[in-house]
Amino acid sequence: MPGIVSRLRRAVGGDSDTTADTTGTDARPDGGTVTEGTRRERRGPIERVGQSLDDRFGGDFVESLPFWLPPFLLMGLFVYGAIVWNLLISLTDYQGFAQAPDYGNLDFEMYVRAATDSGVIDATINTFILIVAFTSATLVIGLALAILIDRGIRFENTFRTIYLLPMSLSFVVTAQFWLWMYNFNNGVVNIALGTFGIGPIDWIGNSSIVLWAVIFALVWQFSGYAMVVYLAGLRAIPSEHYEAAKVDGASTLRMYRRVIIPQLKGATISASVVLMVFALKAFDFLYSLVSNFRPPNGADILATKMVREAYSNQNWAFGAAIAIILFAMALSIIGPYLVYQYRRGNL
Amino acid sequence: MADLELDSLTKIFHDGDDEIVAVDDVSVSIDDGEFVVVVGPSGCGKSTTLRMVAGLESVTSGTIRLDGESIEDVKSQNRDIAMVFQSYALYPHMTVRGNMAFGLEESTDLPDDEIQRRVEETAELLDIPELLDRKPTELSGGQQQRVALGRAIVRDPAVFLMDEPLSNLDAKLRAQMRTELQRLQEDLGVTTVYVTHDQTEAMTMGDRIAILDGGRLQQVATPLKCYHEPANRFVAGFLGEPAMNFFDVEHRDGTLVAAAFEYPISDDVAADLGSTRELVLGIRPEAVEIGGSVTDEHHFGMTVDVVEPMGDENTVYLTFGDEATETNTLVATTGGMRQISAGQSVVAHIPEDAIHVFDRTSGRALHNRRVKSEDVAEIGPE
Repeated sequence: MPGIVSRLRRAVGGDSDTTADTTGTDARPDGGTVTEGTRRERRGPIERVGQSLDDRFGGDFVESLPFWLPPFLLMGLFVYGAIVWNLLISLTDYQGFAQAPDYGNLDFEMYVRAATDSGVIDATINTFILIVAFTSATLVIGLALAILIDRGIRFENTFRTIYLLPMSLSFVVTAQFWLWMYNFNNGVVNIALGTFGIGPIDWIGNSSIVLWAVIFALVWQFSGYAMVVYLAGLRAIPSEHYEAAKVDGASTLRMYRRVIIPQLKGATISASVVLMVFALKAFDFLYSLVSNFRPPNGADILATKMVREAYSNQNWAFGAAIAIILFAMALSIIGPYLVYQYRRGNL
Repeated sequence: MADLELDSLTKIFHDGDDEIVAVDDVSVSIDDGEFVVVVGPSGCGKSTTLRMVAGLESVTSGTIRLDGESIEDVKSQNRDIAMVFQSYALYPHMTVRGNMAFGLEESTDLPDDEIQRRVEETAELLDIPELLDRKPTELSGGQQQRVALGRAIVRDPAVFLMDEPLSNLDAKLRAQMRTELQRLQEDLGVTTVYVTHDQTEAMTMGDRIAILDGGRLQQVATPLKCYHEPANRFVAGFLGEPAMNFFDVEHRDGTLVAAAFEYPISDDVAADLGSTRELVLGIRPEAVEIGGSVTDEHHFGMTVDVVEPMGDENTVYLTFGDEATETNTLVATTGGMRQISAGQSVVAHIPEDAIHVFDRTSGRALHNRRVKSEDVAEIGPE
């Protein structure tokens, strides 16, 4: 490939001195003909630009362009460009189908409106509860499962698969059958509880319960994932650490608490980041639960609120502002993680 | 501080329907404050023995007694024992201080300041007080080793168990730590069981050594006794570097007949051998004397095959004929200043008072070298 590029450059730059180029290529069998001193006098303008870019960004900058530039541009345009555009829209007063957004008059009116809108505040609180409760419950259950499976039980692989399977289901499927299980009259949950004389409970209809019912279903789906992450972490701890702790006089419980679990810090961080991102994506689940943008009372989150404002009410600018709030929340989760990974040299 | 007694200790692992006997009827009693080195080739069951004492491995049969009380049903965390692992097993998320304090926090009710005082005292003893607030990953191998030792010492346990603690160190550091460990153990006077595959460590460190092979105890005695009066051919071959020379011989009327040579023996030696005819003749390389002339039938004209100069001494491979074969090569060591080269013809003297004779089938030692009376006193009774 670099050979082609240099030939291309030669053609464009009008460099006809092929002898010099040949010696250059001989001297650098890896094909790096960019920094050849012998040809400095005869370079064309494109080569000069390429040379200065290479000096600035490293030796392979121009040669590697065809590989990274297209995805770079596509990502830039459709992800980051869209975010910036969304931010711009959120600063306008755009609503309805009538006119194009007016970019001449930008203000934070929509954010003020969001901060005073009780619907948005409720949705933010619900999103927050969802993230925190779902993530911590999933981590705790995943850790407990991982520790149990790591104790060398029989049929270990079978159990691991069983626990991991719900993870492979789509949100839509999970939502559908939890909807049936939570059914007030003949859902399996109420029937099971009924045998103990409890209920029936209106899991979906009761606005103070529904969020927890949703969290429970999500925990059911993702604790298998947390288990796998923790299991990998546990397997990386040498068995001598368990033995040393035992000989040191620690009971099993204290051994896990003081020696093993603290060593799972890395696994906890990566699992919680992934789980929090899933929690932010709970939109799919809530949408499938009721088949529209209006989740059951008490389970509205920022994602559903945003889509509802934008596409049901045509409050484009307001929806965009909610989207930016959601984006800021996601960034505040991902950002510290990226910094942490960068400091540890993993990025 | 306590005495430790292993009584017919046996460990059988089950692998499907197969039974693997890892430790077979091992009995050793270790006195209070004694340093016993358990040594043997890999897979001989030495680590399994140690792990049974630590409570990390269940006991199939037999008894472990600590100060007269059997502990094989006591949980590991309740046996007043500290162990040093080959990989050190330092807790990576704790500082050195945390690592050393952990055992005291878990196994005693001491107040925090007393724990800190003991940790600092031990760190002082091991010359590592400046490392106390570092994490194990920031330490060199030798420093980690010291911390691992400190973690055991600070507990002031009844017994120290050490599982090849020096094998991850480089040769120089290992020699240094060997001496230091010995000094520490002597100062602390804690009963210690030390497992190693390294015969130098076994010879130099232990008050007594226990040699295991294939899960069976071969000999328990002082290092010098094991060296000079091995109980069997395995012990004789395991201890010593270069290893003892062995020749298959047949006893015919006061003469040991090997494939390459004949070696007449005195009546005293012959009396030790009894009626056994299939024998193995053993001679330590350093007991072979090179030089002089053929004066009796214990001198042999030989050819130098290979010389390995070690500096302080040369390891010389001699052959009885011209061709080096399995049965006619004799390894000898000579002083390092001595000029000797391959191809040279020399006279080798195999002194009769230095030979060992073993029963070829059972491996049992029938005759061991004679040790001069002042050495005998030093070797002492078993």
